[in-house]
Amino acid sequence: MNARAFTTDVVFGVVPIALVVAIWQALVSFGYAPVTLLPPPGLVFDRLAQQLMTGTFQQEIAATLFRLFAGFAIAVVLGVTIGLAAAASPAVNAVVRPLVRVLAPLPKVALYPALLLLLGFGHESKITLVAADALFPILLSTFYGASMVEQKLIWSAMAAGTPRREILFKVVLPAAMPSILTGCRIGLVISCIVVFLAEMITSTDGLGHLLVTAARTFQAVDMFVPLITISLLGLILNGALEALRAFLLRGFPEV
Amino acid sequence: MIEIDHVSQTFQTSGRQNHLALSDISLTIEDGAFVSILGPSGCGKSTLLYIVGGFVNPTQGLAKVKGRAITGPGPDRGPVFQEFALFPWKSVLGNVMYGPRQQGVRPAEAEAQSRALIEMVGLKGFEDFYPKELSGGMKQRVALARTLAYHPVVLLMDEPFGALDAHTRTRLQNDLLNIWERDRKTVLFVTHSVEEAVFLSDKVVMLTRAPGRIRQIVDIDLPRPRRRTELLLDPRYQKYLVDIERMFDDADENELPP
Amino acid sequence: MISARAVLARATPVLACLGLLAVWQATSLVLNNDSFPTAIEAIRAIPLILGDKEALINILASLRRMAIGFGVAVAMSIPLGLMMGRSRTVASFFNPLLMVIYPVPKAALMPIIMLWLGVGDIAKTLVIFLGVSLPVIYHSFAGAKAVEEKMLWSGAAMGLSAAQRMTRIVLPAALPEILTGCRTGLVLALITMITSEMIARQSGAGNILFNALDMGQYDTVFAMIIIVGAMGIGLDALFEKMRARLVKWSEPQFDIPVSFS
Repeated sequence: MNARAFTTDVVFGVVPIALVVAIWQALVSFGYAPVTLLPPPGLVFDRLAQQLMTGTFQQEIAATLFRLFAGFAIAVVLGVTIGLAAAASPAVNAVVRPLVRVLAPLPKVALYPALLLLLGFGHESKITLVAADALFPILLSTFYGASMVEQKLIWSAMAAGTPRREILFKVVLPAAMPSILTGCRIGLVISCIVVFLAEMITSTDGLGHLLVTAARTFQAVDMFVPLITISLLGLILNGALEALRAFLLRGFPEV
Repeated sequence: MIEIDHVSQTFQTSGRQNHLALSDISLTIEDGAFVSILGPSGCGKSTLLYIVGGFVNPTQGLAKVKGRAITGPGPDRGPVFQEFALFPWKSVLGNVMYGPRQQGVRPAEAEAQSRALIEMVGLKGFEDFYPKELSGGMKQRVALARTLAYHPVVLLMDEPFGALDAHTRTRLQNDLLNIWERDRKTVLFVTHSVEEAVFLSDKVVMLTRAPGRIRQIVDIDLPRPRRRTELLLDPRYQKYLVDIERMFDDADENELPP
Repeated sequence: MISARAVLARATPVLACLGLLAVWQATSLVLNNDSFPTAIEAIRAIPLILGDKEALINILASLRRMAIGFGVAVAMSIPLGLMMGRSRTVASFFNPLLMVIYPVPKAALMPIIMLWLGVGDIAKTLVIFLGVSLPVIYHSFAGAKAVEEKMLWSGAAMGLSAAQRMTRIVLPAALPEILTGCRTGLVLALITMITSEMIARQSGAGNILFNALDMGQYDTVFAMIIIVGAMGIGLDALFEKMRARLVKWSEPQFDIPVSFS
């Protein structure tokens, strides 16, 4: 990407965020919203900067990030494996397809109380929920990507001497990468959302828990801080994944 | 050396119907011969190539290479496809090195061999480019280099220049012949262009419309190396073109369209 | 004439459900944990819930909030998305803003919205509205953008005004993509509804779930999960039918698959 396009992107990206903050500030300054309900942005960002220095806040972020990554990682491993297996084997496909059709539209968050009962109120229940939610887009993207691999690519590899059992890893997996990574991006966004929500519903720590605690004590500023933190984390992680995607897919034509 | 013995191929189409693509093809191809399979669209010529390649199993009959029955693809029969089928996630060098690495050749050795091949097909300097950055003609050169890299005994070429513009096509035809002259592999070349078939081959196998049968086998007795500028004025070359075109014209008159 | 293949295709999801229930039953018997009732115990609790007037009111309230949130979101998002798709200025105005809002979990805005609007219906419906809007806007945008320029030129040549071109060419052409967005929106509506009710307890299915959890009525918890699950599957199946009928002319869509169709 050339320098000019990049700068334009950044400008276009920053401007609306600045706009939101400006409107926010305006609402407060002009008294459209009471300070107790909508604190000024300056105050919130100050508080955020302050909190970021403290060990306790960092621990909360760590807890949230740990659950996020663990859940996402499990979803990626399971999703890609099952997706590839279903694309490669009609038998696996026959079992997986109906299961996914039934489970995909089910709001996994409804399972959360069951998970709490079975796994307790700590990390495990949240990690499982994150994994369950992020799994499906990754699985489906992998399956579709793997099913669409050009037949002639596989034939070329076989003629070059690749044994059948290696075709899945040497040809299908790399060829399906664009699709898999798209699914992973969606899965990552879902992971960010779900971990935060799970912590809001019941938790003893984490960013979501901070928000709910602040809500109970009517501390508006302390409510905004974790919310903005998770948004920033989401943007950063998304950016990192995009960079990884650009690197891994450098040979592929723009889709 | 390639024996095709009463091969027939039936496909099941989406409408649950049976489509007879090839009907009772029997053919022997000698070592080192450049043989074209010529016919209109849908006559099953690509299917015949895929059967020899081991990508498709014939519903009837048998194909053999060097006396052994063909049961699947292998490095003894290297394909070059019209769609190039290059691995998009690998560079030019990566693509060409793929075959040798699969054969267990050590990386340094494979790289050296591949670079030499890339130079031979005229792409020196493009080793680190990705397929998406190459033109159609360049991609096909890479595809050829990739196949040659694992030293197949037979080259299976499926309308390899069909997706290219006329100028690039001519250049690649010449380059292909130059490369082929070096070690005279056996080549099976599928095309629908009479002119291309006559220009390149020692023998032209003409197929009918589906179900594809052998209409005629024409031996092309023209001296090598072949230069288009010389051949265009050569009466023998012209006669081959006319004879074959005439056979197709007669067939068109007598047969129903596909 | 129903072929065997069609029957089998319909049967497999049902078989999958039964399979899952069987696995559940087996696992709960093996684990023999008080907090993990068997599938049969949970299923037995379902009629009790549906028969209970209080619970029924809660569930219907949930559905109503979902319907309103979804309906209003769709009504507003489709036009916005279409306009963004055809006008670069509109797009560059809204696009970055939406990209900022996207990663924010809308249900997480619940406490803030509760602070402003209280714990009632409006807060929950608003959150659902926000959750549904984004995918519908995005897909309408993508669908509108992909409409071939030449189709619109033909329309202009036929004398259609800009507004007419929008409703009579862009909208139908983008419909498959829009409906994909609506389907995602529907899934999100359900999720947001449940989550918002779990956070701001007071009414609704999520509320029933956590009340039962607090009171140790584990059968009810799992029964409620089955009910919510059934709601999700049922709504999705209904939507799919409607979608298939509306766009049977279009080619299969594989963009960001939400489920096997």
